[in-house]
Amino acid sequence: MAAVLLCVLALALAVFALTRRRLLWGVIGVGAHSLVLAGLYLVLAAPDVALTEAAVGFGLVTFVYLLALRRTGKLVVAASPLYPLLYPEGEGIAGLEWEILTRFARWYHRDLELIWVPRAEIPRLLRSGEAHLGAGGFLPTPEDRLAYTKPLLPTRLVLVRLGEGPRGAVAGEPTGKHADPSGKLFEDAAELAHALARGEVGEAVTDLLRLREWTMQDLFSEAETQILPEEYGFALAVTPQDEELHRSLTEFLAELEKSGELTELLRRYLG
Amino acid sequence: MEALSGLSLAVVLAALGLWVMVSRRNLVWKLLGLGVASGGSILFLVALSHRPGVRPPILGLGPGPAADPLPQALVLTAIVIRFATLALALALVILLTEHRHTQDARRLEEEE
Amino acid sequence: MKFLLVCGLAGLLGLLGAGLVGIWPRPEFPDPDPVAKAWGVANAVAAVVLGVRLWDTIFEVLVYVVAMVGVRFFLLGMRWQGELPPVAETPLLRRSADLLLGPILVFALYLAASGHLGPGGGFPAGAILGSALLLLALAKGVERLSAELYEPRLERLEYVAVVFLLFLGAVVLVLGVRTAAAFVVANLLVAVEVAIGAWAVLHRFASARGEV
Repeated sequence: MAAVLLCVLALALAVFALTRRRLLWGVIGVGAHSLVLAGLYLVLAAPDVALTEAAVGFGLVTFVYLLALRRTGKLVVAASPLYPLLYPEGEGIAGLEWEILTRFARWYHRDLELIWVPRAEIPRLLRSGEAHLGAGGFLPTPEDRLAYTKPLLPTRLVLVRLGEGPRGAVAGEPTGKHADPSGKLFEDAAELAHALARGEVGEAVTDLLRLREWTMQDLFSEAETQILPEEYGFALAVTPQDEELHRSLTEFLAELEKSGELTELLRRYLG
Repeated sequence: MEALSGLSLAVVLAALGLWVMVSRRNLVWKLLGLGVASGGSILFLVALSHRPGVRPPILGLGPGPAADPLPQALVLTAIVIRFATLALALALVILLTEHRHTQDARRLEEEE
Repeated sequence: MKFLLVCGLAGLLGLLGAGLVGIWPRPEFPDPDPVAKAWGVANAVAAVVLGVRLWDTIFEVLVYVVAMVGVRFFLLGMRWQGELPPVAETPLLRRSADLLLGPILVFALYLAASGHLGPGGGFPAGAILGSALLLLALAKGVERLSAELYEPRLERLEYVAVVFLLFLGAVVLVLGVRTAAAFVVANLLVAVEVAIGAWAVLHRFASARGEV
């Protein structure tokens, strides 16, 4: 009777372990499975085998797996800052996307490394494989030829008009194509905002979230805004060289959404 | 009864491990599947050495016939060797990840 | 391909069922007790592992050594460059490691020395010794422990143990010596071998990959 119970338990643990997506659960499940198998050997009148299986299969094997899982490479994130998605805070980094990325890195058994780059640099870094993920208010454009996740947050483009002058935009963003031929392209949004405040450009194309940031900083009070009709969404960009990474990230985000944690995070960071 | 359930579990475990080895693409998952499959074969041998009402093959552990010590002895070393080969395989996986930056078996084959 | 796999498994299951239903009678075992008595021990499994099939065991130990050499070779060029991580403040774990380490070591030695009388033997004893080091590593931090305790001399001891085991095998099998003392020595050698091999592997993995 005990043998049947142990058999059922061992089978259930093996099925549980091998149907997980996360490797850590698989390793822990297989460890527990082999401990139950050791009990089964004891019932089957093989105490020597039971002792060996308990010491090796449960102890050493699990430990070697955990050591090997710990660091299997770094995950490099190329990003440009955007409050409240991804921004430097004191010595560290904070934001909604950073929270998602750190959770994903733990899930995927990688270390995160973040490099701040101008928006126009991100596609080149991802295509060459120097970085694995692009983040920080990344608006997907077809010409980048990258892989993207589902949009985390929908947004629209906005035309901000402050006075007379050329139209400015951030290089590389889909907002760039709204810049007229005489307009100026800037490396990042902060430069664009300063140019707008100083009057170097008369109007700027940006997105709703940046507009909110600018309004909160009270950079310019009496600006005239016009929302453009195209719909966009902030997403995470993935290097086209790693399909497995893309699939894992998509799955992780789906899991996060299903458990309701994504909604919780969105509410925490965006109010 | 014990031997019957042990033998059927052994076959199911071997099948499960083989299925994982075929269907998963990540090398570490393949190794986990291999571990479960080899656990199944070990259980098969141990269950073969069992008959109803036997005692462990140690002198002075009560009356009755003893279980067959030969499969148990074979399995004893196999478990330790399994750990050694697993460590070797994981070292190779770490080396591959360092040099090729992926653990996906299909991608590793394509890049050849 | 999948169809063939399923068919093969179904066939295997059918054979298994037929065998268990009793169409073919299952053969009776020979009585293991005379074998154990002939080698002068109580545990028939030990009599098979270290007596009747001693050559098998010696060559399995050689396979183990070769695999460990392989791990060392492949992880040779990878050394963790960063700083040692700070030791986590877990007094419970550290106190229990201090308390448990001695009993575990004694238990492992007992298993190795009494492997010919009851369940145990060199293989589980070596694995338990390795697990004791694991416990210590969890309490102190793997990186730190492997930096403090690792010695190339230990690895040489492993090879010396293998040589002694081969020598013992020759004495037992060629000269036909059948004493329980040979079993005790062989079990202790196997335990040393397995434990040092496991510790060397854990050390290599830790120093190549960073802390747990």
